Amino acid sequence: MKNKTLTYYFIVLFILGFYSCKEEGEYHSISDKIEAEGKPYHGKLSSDPLLVDSELITITEGEHTFLIPERKGQIKSFACTECHTRPVAQMKNSDAQKAHWDIKLNHANSEVMNCATCHNGNDMNNLNALTGQNIDFNLSYKLCAQCHFSQFEDWKGGAHGKKVAGWAPPRASMTCVNCHNPHSPGFEKRWPVQFNTQTLEERKEGLDH
Amino acid sequence: MSVSKKWYSLDLGSNKKKESSGSCGCGKAQGSCNSQKEELSADEFYEAAINASIGEERHRDGFEQVFDVKMDRRTAFRKLTASLLIGAGAVSTSCSVIVDDETKEKAQIDWEEQFKGNYKLMTDDEKQSTINRLMRSYELRTGKNISMTAENAAEDVLFGYAFNISKCQGYMNCVTACVEENNQDRNSQMQYIRIHEMKDGEGFKFDKADDNYYHEVPAEGHFYMGTQCFHCDNPPCVEVCPVQATWKEEDGLVVIDYDWCVGCRYCMAACPYDGRRFNWSKPEVPENEINKNQHYLGNRMRKKGVMEKCTFCVQRTRKGKNPACAEACPTGARIFGNLLDPNSTIRWVLENKKVFRLKEDLGTEPKFWYFMD
Repeated sequence: MKNKTLTYYFIVLFILGFYSCKEEGEYHSISDKIEAEGKPYHGKLSSDPLLVDSELITITEGEHTFLIPERKGQIKSFACTECHTRPVAQMKNSDAQKAHWDIKLNHANSEVMNCATCHNGNDMNNLNALTGQNIDFNLSYKLCAQCHFSQFEDWKGGAHGKKVAGWAPPRASMTCVNCHNPHSPGFEKRWPVQFNTQTLEERKEGLDH
Repeated sequence: MSVSKKWYSLDLGSNKKKESSGSCGCGKAQGSCNSQKEELSADEFYEAAINASIGEERHRDGFEQVFDVKMDRRTAFRKLTASLLIGAGAVSTSCSVIVDDETKEKAQIDWEEQFKGNYKLMTDDEKQSTINRLMRSYELRTGKNISMTAENAAEDVLFGYAFNISKCQGYMNCVTACVEENNQDRNSQMQYIRIHEMKDGEGFKFDKADDNYYHEVPAEGHFYMGTQCFHCDNPPCVEVCPVQATWKEEDGLVVIDYDWCVGCRYCMAACPYDGRRFNWSKPEVPENEINKNQHYLGNRMRKKGVMEKCTFCVQRTRKGKNPACAEACPTGARIFGNLLDPNSTIRWVLENKKVFRLKEDLGTEPKFWYFMD
């Protein structure tokens, strides 16, 4: 008799547990929700209208295909051969006006890098890989990726860098040189753009928590 | 048109499409809708207020949500006074021969706005008419035009955010962009985002961190992390709201109906992340600095005594744009996207980087992750 009651208890408990566990539309965690609601995915929003004014090119790196801004049109004095009619070695000693006097290389140290690490004195219209192969100015990220491979991995996936306009597909990401000056890629110290004097007041008066 | 409305409509003669109900000159207003009560006498207001029970609040809308609830004598009188003042104002305006059409229209808008329902329960048409009223009201008051939308959540969208604590340098461009985008009060310098300057090697100690520094950044031996509303999937602020003025939308945004909020600040106390802000004074933004692209649930102008907070820039993100903070960040520390899109960058971050959230053990399930390079 006692055994029977116990069994009933267990059955009731089981049924209760079964029903109370999950209501419709409720999940144990956000990852469950993403898993359940993300399939099948057919989002309709597109950032195409936001991108119409930007010159973009499509690139495919590994399993990622996305858009990056076109670069050559943004460089003021491209094509370089309009001035660099002769190889750099021959132009160096001429009395011609110095064009790039304002560029100071602040990227790695001089043992590791100099101008020729990235530029080819004999073919100024293209960038120069470590192996001597040409890299198009539009694909300058390939040059950076030679050393900065972990950043490159993050950038491809979308963890490093910024988007061009919006979150909606198609994905358009900034390329390295849109944020970093290739000749001085580090970000400099500066003052924050915002300071809350009201909070300062409140702190002085001891009103802050 | 007025038949489907959930509150009494006044026709002050400014609306040419409708036929005049001819209530002028008699000193009392007549309802033109087919609601169960025909006259707006103070006695009936009082009866409705004390007789009804609070349990059906959920199913009521418009007029009924205001008056058809159980409340104490004081609250009832307060509500009655407010409504009667507006009513009396409307009636006297409509009866006056001196006031112009604009004043009458203003009174009409004020009336309709007073009795409109909770945004959460509105149909799309009702949402459209309330934003039309708000835009017209702004035009009448300032002579300037604003554009306001009531865009609903898109299908298959769940917004999420990732913040790279090794990238943030503490420049605070995000804070400035946020204030400008969302029309926050300039006098009290309200800010949704806080950037905490933390000492290296001490972990997250918010009591020791400084969120109002002013020196060159990044400072030696410090790292920076930002907090704002995390748009929790299990938001405690929503649960404590006594009037359901805040709720979670389909796309995961936790939003506030500024016109429904009573300013009790329960949500502020319930939020474990200091995500919510209160308007202690009337929010003021110089006319030339107002962002005129607005959303009902987002950056439209607030009033004194209501809560507000980050909405992931609902007015931008529902159009496919990034929030203002993510767009302004000079370091790329802020990643925003759709958690349901398997090809989105936010999903790649969650699946490939080591991510964590603040106070995860509370079970609030924030949709705001932190990660490192």
